[in-house]
Amino acid sequence: MSRSVWKGPFVDAYVLKKAEAARESGRNDVIKIWSRRSTILPQFVGLTFGVYNGHKHIPVSVSEDMIGQKFGEYSPTRTYYGHAADKKAKRK
Amino acid sequence: MPDRICVGAIAGAYGVRGEVRLKSFTADPQAIADYSPLTSEDGTQSFTVTITRPINNGFAARLSGISTKEQADDLRGLRLYVSRDKLPSLPDDEFYHADLIGLVVVDTGGTELGRVKSVQNHGAGDLLEIHGPNLKSTVLLPFTHEAVPTVDLAAGRIVADPPDGLF
Repeated sequence: MSRSVWKGPFVDAYVLKKAEAARESGRNDVIKIWSRRSTILPQFVGLTFGVYNGHKHIPVSVSEDMIGQKFGEYSPTRTYYGHAADKKAKRK
Repeated sequence: MPDRICVGAIAGAYGVRGEVRLKSFTADPQAIADYSPLTSEDGTQSFTVTITRPINNGFAARLSGISTKEQADDLRGLRLYVSRDKLPSLPDDEFYHADLIGLVVVDTGGTELGRVKSVQNHGAGDLLEIHGPNLKSTVLLPFTHEAVPTVDLAAGRIVADPPDGLF
């Protein structure tokens, strides 16, 4: 069953506090968080979070299309490298 | 920059008419046939690849010069390479993973941080995995203009301006 709308999206309070502090300071720090269950809110866009995957903090630069997802979705807990072959990386 | 890039491997024979099971490592799996002819690692063998149909975990394919099941069986485990020159050129700010892997990463002061071990993407942009002698474990650096202002493929180095708290 999905979450009731009247409750609003779930975010751990400390994530909100850290994000607000980072935004006010204007520094380009990685905000280390352990809360994979928190929802990505519009005010997080442009910030970089280090989302813990049980081993280390994976940098997640939040963009508009990630709003509403959970942080954990961008920090996989299992390692898979694959082959480089002709795969491309784009610098944003 | 590597001369040749591994784009696939042969998993064994498929059927009894000389077809092979082909594993593709390319971004678009079917694109492996476009890079034909493919060579073995040492460059002694060369094959033109024709994909006949998709199968579980890859493709059934016909290779030039391979007409029997025994010949196909002998190729089991063979990795297929393509010359780096055959890959199409990319627009600015796009790079092949193969070109980035192995580059030396230095900070804006010129201090070496490590080398690029792999390029990953978990859905929130590309990340460079950096491995260095002074690092306890690998570090993931966002592949953005802010964090990576300069990529110099000719000189084989990347200038990084990592966010605080990464290294």
